[in-house]
Amino acid sequence: MNTPATLRARSEDQAARLPPLLARAEQLAGAVLLGDHGRRRAGSGDDFWQYRPAQIGDSRRMIDHRRSALGDQQFVREREWQIAQTVMLWCDQGASMRFNSVDTLPTKMGRARLLTMSLAILLNRGGERVGMTGTRLPPRRGNAQILRLAEMLSEEDSAEYAPPEHSAMIPNAAAMFASDFLGDMAPVELALTKAADRGVRGVLLQVLDPSEEEFAFHGRTIFESVGGSMRHETLKANDLRDRYLARLAQRKDELQRLCTRTGWQYGLHNTEKSPQSGLLWLYQAISGGAHL
Amino acid sequence: MTVLGGIGLGAPWLLAALFALPILWLILRAVPPAPVRRRFPGVALLLGLKDGETVTDRTPWWLLLLRILAVAALIIGLAQPILNPDNFSNEITGPKLIVIDGSWAGAVGHTQQMQSIKGEIDRATSAGQLVAVLQITDPKPLKFHPAAVAGPSVAGLKPNPWLPSPDNVAQAITHITNANASSVVWFSDGVAYEGQDDILSALNAAQDLRIFQGTQQVVGLTPAQYVDGTINVTTLRANAIGDQAVTILAQGRDPLGYDATLARVTAQFSGRENVANAPLVLPAELRARVTSFEIEGIRSAGARTLVDNTFQRREVALVAGRRGREGLELLSPLHYLNVALEPTADILTGALADVLPANPDVIILADVATLSAEETEKLLVWTEAGGLLLRFAGPRVAASDISRAIEDPLMPVRLRSGGRSVGGAMSWGEPNTIAPFSATSPFFGLKVPDYVLVNAQVVAQPDPTLAARVIAQLSDGTPLVTRKSVGQGQVVLFHVTANAEWSSLPFSVLFVEMLERLAVSSPISAPSIEDLEGTVWTPRQVMDGFGVLRDAGMMPSVDGPDLVAADPSAILLPGIYTSGDRTLARNVLADGDVLNAAKWPDTVTVSSYSTVSPHQLGGPLLGLALLLLLVDVIASLALSGKLLGQVSRSTIALITLGLIGLDGPPAHAQTVDIDVASELALAHIVTGNTEVDDIAYAGLRGLSDILFFRTSIEPQAPVSINLETDELALFPIIYWPITLEQPRPSVEAYAKLNTYLRSGGLIIFDTRDANVAGFGSASPNGRKLQDLAKSMNIPSLEPTPSDHVLTRAFYLLQDFPGRYVGRDVWVEAAPIDAQQADGMPFRNLNDGVTPVVIGGNDWAGAWATASSGAPLLPVGRGFGGERQRELANRFGVNLVMYVLTGNYKSDQVHVPALLERLGQ
Repeated sequence: MNTPATLRARSEDQAARLPPLLARAEQLAGAVLLGDHGRRRAGSGDDFWQYRPAQIGDSRRMIDHRRSALGDQQFVREREWQIAQTVMLWCDQGASMRFNSVDTLPTKMGRARLLTMSLAILLNRGGERVGMTGTRLPPRRGNAQILRLAEMLSEEDSAEYAPPEHSAMIPNAAAMFASDFLGDMAPVELALTKAADRGVRGVLLQVLDPSEEEFAFHGRTIFESVGGSMRHETLKANDLRDRYLARLAQRKDELQRLCTRTGWQYGLHNTEKSPQSGLLWLYQAISGGAHL
Repeated sequence: MTVLGGIGLGAPWLLAALFALPILWLILRAVPPAPVRRRFPGVALLLGLKDGETVTDRTPWWLLLLRILAVAALIIGLAQPILNPDNFSNEITGPKLIVIDGSWAGAVGHTQQMQSIKGEIDRATSAGQLVAVLQITDPKPLKFHPAAVAGPSVAGLKPNPWLPSPDNVAQAITHITNANASSVVWFSDGVAYEGQDDILSALNAAQDLRIFQGTQQVVGLTPAQYVDGTINVTTLRANAIGDQAVTILAQGRDPLGYDATLARVTAQFSGRENVANAPLVLPAELRARVTSFEIEGIRSAGARTLVDNTFQRREVALVAGRRGREGLELLSPLHYLNVALEPTADILTGALADVLPANPDVIILADVATLSAEETEKLLVWTEAGGLLLRFAGPRVAASDISRAIEDPLMPVRLRSGGRSVGGAMSWGEPNTIAPFSATSPFFGLKVPDYVLVNAQVVAQPDPTLAARVIAQLSDGTPLVTRKSVGQGQVVLFHVTANAEWSSLPFSVLFVEMLERLAVSSPISAPSIEDLEGTVWTPRQVMDGFGVLRDAGMMPSVDGPDLVAADPSAILLPGIYTSGDRTLARNVLADGDVLNAAKWPDTVTVSSYSTVSPHQLGGPLLGLALLLLLVDVIASLALSGKLLGQVSRSTIALITLGLIGLDGPPAHAQTVDIDVASELALAHIVTGNTEVDDIAYAGLRGLSDILFFRTSIEPQAPVSINLETDELALFPIIYWPITLEQPRPSVEAYAKLNTYLRSGGLIIFDTRDANVAGFGSASPNGRKLQDLAKSMNIPSLEPTPSDHVLTRAFYLLQDFPGRYVGRDVWVEAAPIDAQQADGMPFRNLNDGVTPVVIGGNDWAGAWATASSGAPLLPVGRGFGGERQRELANRFGVNLVMYVLTGNYKSDQVHVPALLERLGQ
């Protein structure tokens, strides 16, 4: 398998997937205006934030004489806090993500990658450092990082349901996990509590296919997982619908509860919806809700 | 064979199997459908869920119904059902003879006849008989063939446009006797003809004789006769069965020369008559254009009668003795003649010597007394050849000595000197009226209005011959109109003037009617055998049995007497025949013919055509069963979700393609046009060099992507255009890479290019040689460009000035690199008077967009990307090269922006001034 010829062929195959993902992600990211990127709080930065009356403890050098000369009071000019943050990304590459119910819809994997990549591009433009969780791609800035990220995202995992990667999380960073969260919940819980321990807050994005939320099947059916390792046979699929939906709702509740407990945000994205709405929510959540 | 409700069954006991269907229903019902396999990531959530009830899912009822129907169709199909089973005995297996009359009378029911014959042949096929067909109108020696062989040849049987002649009958009887067939079917046309009984007795020798005859009435038309202003069309019918109305159409040409129905008239058969007359009065104008009469709704040669030029417009020459004085038109001797003849005849006017060579049908001399000897001689020759000379009297005739002592050859009677006048101021008596016409007069039947009075006339000298020559006289017995024959023609004299000086006759309707009778009853009437002796007639158009005229082609000519007297046959088809200038119509029926229904002795039974023939239902039913099973396969697959699996999907695509027949390409050009017209697309010229064309296409694709990502321009896929065939107007910008081997466009293509440039298009020429020799003729591509552009409407050029809009349409650019960094890119020169205004960053340059951009930097090479988006060709070295590619892309963006927005950027410079003005 690893002869130079096959290696070359496989690498070209891998590389060929990069530009479209990049291009689409760039175009999607271009649709979001970087208007509310500021931290909305005073701190060190270039942009003007507010004048506040000088208080005891402010050094004389901090007084803004131009403003203070307008009246008797002395003012200090504050700037908006702008500091590069670190955002760790994780996108589920497991087999269960390689699924789309209809040809016209993208796979869950495709949508999750697109959103992750677009978010990374947006954050990179905003000056943040972006990286993958785990040790393989530590956070860096710059366009080269985007290329490396795209390369990493193009890999695939053979596991049926991939557990979130939670090693080497940088304290007080932000994080984003994208997955369908249909597998075992224990690793998810572990990853989130571990992140909370280190002060990492972030966003949990659950990407689902419409058929998973509707379960519009009937008749004698054998359900197989995408990897083929699990199967479940039923004679009347429509009988199972209510119970399946109940379980799905329970899973969503569980995720929501977990997020509330750890201070994360939980979001649901359906591949039927436009990627734009998903990206907007993600960006708002990452830049506003998380403690960036 | 068992017959159930009109359907015969070959194997009726097989139907018992139908009772098994309910059992099949129960069995099929209990079998659950195959499970559907679905990939479903949420299966982890399903694990452990149990089915609520453990009842087997049933096959849907419609699928069951489908299967039951398929099996039922199979069972019934195998039972050999026959629709309209044959009730005739099929015991006779000897040869079978099919006899048909095959005359025009059978043309009406031809279709039914052919169906019946086909049914007979089918029966013969199933009985294994040999078959021969005999057409009595065209008897040929009989050859018996197996029915399957004889069948196709029967389809070619057509009715002939004649009735069986005695010759035909004699030959047919010989053939029948020789054939000695064991069963005979005779299809009679329903018309009696001579020898029918003989044929019947010859056929009676066969074991089995059946006679079929159509139920439709046979009707025919005899040639139209024109008698005294009325066209008489005689309609004949074969069966005198009660009252019947038949519509006769007069067909001809409308004034534009197209075929049209000119008139219609109804002939009414009454009671036991089988002849009906339909008089038809048509204006002469219409009458002259009639070409045939036919019976409405009947297609047969007998129901159509052709008309030759008998009814055509006459040529009438008018010659007056004195010219009418100017302003006194009503006194002109020719005025009333002109008015009366104009609608019905072609009028020639002029001196006698001038009109005679035109050989008119009629010459009218109004008050012409003296003719020169030469004129007299010519006129006499013309009259003897069949001309009608019509003379009017008048003061000059009265005063002259013409026909005084000796009868003039061109005068019907001798005249007394001076004439007479009655009822005038200086004379006794009352003006005379016209006496009713005698039965021998051509005017017989015309009504004489009482206001017609005669004041003066020339008087005929009493003669032994006078009484026979008078065709109209006054109430006192003086001749008013006299006539005599001269050779084939005749001379007619009106003893009054042609104007109103001597009588009020020219005012009256009578005058017109008299003229019409005279002018029409002249020479061309039906010719007799003697007339045609020695002439040879060539067929021009002939009729087939259906009455359809076709070109005669190379058919042999016929002798004149035969044309009139002989019966129609294969060598004398009815139709239009010509000999020299003369045209003669030969019709199927002659004047005086009668149609009679065929009479059959009581010993034979005659039935009408049977329109239904036995029809095997087994094949269609078995086919239906197969079709249902096929549907069942598809439905079952669809139910189990396997129909659109990955493998079968491509299979279906293949099958569909195969069915459609892969004829996509013809619609291609049209759809490309529509696509391109509805969206913006970049285009390049196809040079013929595949490599260059591919790079140009890829370059435009790359540029389109860049425009899509960076700007609000969202082009669709680029288009490769052929200058000769494609429409250029749909593309705002065309990229034209120059290759050495590309051919010069045609003149039409250059015309298109110039129109394109004039109407605001932009062509970017790329010599792709880095412009190594500067813009000039030194490089081969440069020379090629000059050669190509010679015929194009290109304005004067200059290297792009630094303040050109192209440098700032979207990006700010100093130079325009592609794969090469050439300095100069040439655009349309700025007007000489363009000056840089104070405080403005650039000059106010030309308003329009340059029609051409010429350079050699191989921009397409720099823009080119694979369909995945990766660049195709290297540019420069390392990161510097990437920068150069970026600049090339920016040039592309600027270029397209420039083309689409024009000098908008140039105008932007005025915005501050405009805002300032608005602020006030």
